[in-house]
Amino acid sequence: MITSPTIDDMLEGVILAVETDILPHLADAKAQASAQMMQSLLQGVRQLLPVYESSLVEEHNAMNAALRDAAAALADVSGPEADRMRERAASLGAADDLPAPADPEQTRLAHVARATAVRDCLYDLDVMQRAGIQAADESLTILRAMLTPQYLHYMATFPMQGGMLGRG
Amino acid sequence: MDEQLASTLASVFIDAEGIHVRGLAALPGGFSRETFAFDIEVQGGEHAGELPMILRKDPPAAVAILETSRLVEHNLLESLRANTSIPISRSYCAEMNPDVFGERAMIIQRMPGNGQTSDLFHDGPDTDQVDDVVRHLCEIMVELHETSIDTIDPHGELADPRGVGIDASSWDAYMDTTFEYYIDSYPTLEFDPMMLTLLDSFLSLRRNKPRPVPLSIVHGDFNPANFLYEDGKVTALIDWENTRIGDPREDLGWMALMDVLSNSQVMSHPVDEGGFLAYYNKLRGLDITPEELGYFTLFGTANIAVPVNAAIARRTRKEHMEFLHLYLVQSQAPALMSFISLLDYPGVPA
Repeated sequence: MITSPTIDDMLEGVILAVETDILPHLADAKAQASAQMMQSLLQGVRQLLPVYESSLVEEHNAMNAALRDAAAALADVSGPEADRMRERAASLGAADDLPAPADPEQTRLAHVARATAVRDCLYDLDVMQRAGIQAADESLTILRAMLTPQYLHYMATFPMQGGMLGRG
Repeated sequence: MDEQLASTLASVFIDAEGIHVRGLAALPGGFSRETFAFDIEVQGGEHAGELPMILRKDPPAAVAILETSRLVEHNLLESLRANTSIPISRSYCAEMNPDVFGERAMIIQRMPGNGQTSDLFHDGPDTDQVDDVVRHLCEIMVELHETSIDTIDPHGELADPRGVGIDASSWDAYMDTTFEYYIDSYPTLEFDPMMLTLLDSFLSLRRNKPRPVPLSIVHGDFNPANFLYEDGKVTALIDWENTRIGDPREDLGWMALMDVLSNSQVMSHPVDEGGFLAYYNKLRGLDITPEELGYFTLFGTANIAVPVNAAIARRTRKEHMEFLHLYLVQSQAPALMSFISLLDYPGVPA
């Protein structure tokens, strides 16, 4: 996966392009409104993305605790409703809390550091290969074999279909 | 804009009594220049009548993908028109004063023919023409590659048009200085560390230099979108801005890659000759092998990849906010697949 431009960079670029390349050329009022709705929706996605996973985990864990606490508050109450509350607390509410997800920015920076290190290996291996060190060939093959599924995954996840848009 | 066009063209059609511009409209396509179509009515003089025109403008410097000169392109087009039978636009003028059109520009003849070349392939409406068109396209490329460099480029403008230190005095010097250009450029184009397969290809190209062939004029962007056709013939080979002296196998390699990325089938035609490479070999006798084609797919692609990815890197650093460059992040991604395939990465599906 590439880490630059970020997903936020790409969404920001689309919002700007709608503003500068599309909106000035839309004569129809409904089309203008649709374009502005697209911008608004994309801006919402920009704000959701960085906190989405951590928010889900945090809310999941809070709901676990609340299910237990709400049932505990009914400890002296009998009846089918209170029983169902206790049952929820004992099943779903008793599950382990989910671990906090890694900070996306920390993950990105760690990825960048490793990819940069692999890149620097290519420079060093090239020097060794040009010096005739055969083990460098094997070393390069190991790095390439590691990279293959990464590029395949990237292509499958971020596909470019239909040829080169805007060309003949 | 109409007034500037009429005024500029008045200095070309000096015997005209009047020039009227009509129908100026931006054209889509072409990632590196801003292109406009228009017609002129020339009143009086030798060229009286209607003439179809194209205005090719440089984009603002910050968003430029290829730093090329309209004057060099103008001189090239006129030299090719004078010295070859290659179907090509007449270039009327290069306006190097950016005050006239906002940026440097050139005005060329708008050629007839269909530019929607995807009509030739798959279930397109012109599949009956594809063999004849591609046969002609191959013959044009052979003529370009066999035309004397000194004839086309007497002042050496095409030896190092980007000014990056290319030495085209011999094949070895050309290849060696081009390797250095690619490798030295890598830090400027690395918008993401995962672009390292480009670096891998640059270093691999240098380690595995193939046999030499005579240098030639290369088109530099010979791809399935850069020609027009009509009635089984190519009516124009277009977009000559990246033309330079180089190894002729670069044009074939770039076409091979773009053929895949564009989902066209140029390299499979003409069928009765065994495809584009076989027909080219028959006409030129160079016996270019599939392995050499693969090598020059990487080499020729690198020539485009360096400036394109450098432009993407400038966008990623937010030196400008042009949308096209963000789109190029996605559209150039399939090239990475071709790179790892040509570099024989373990595990790449056949």
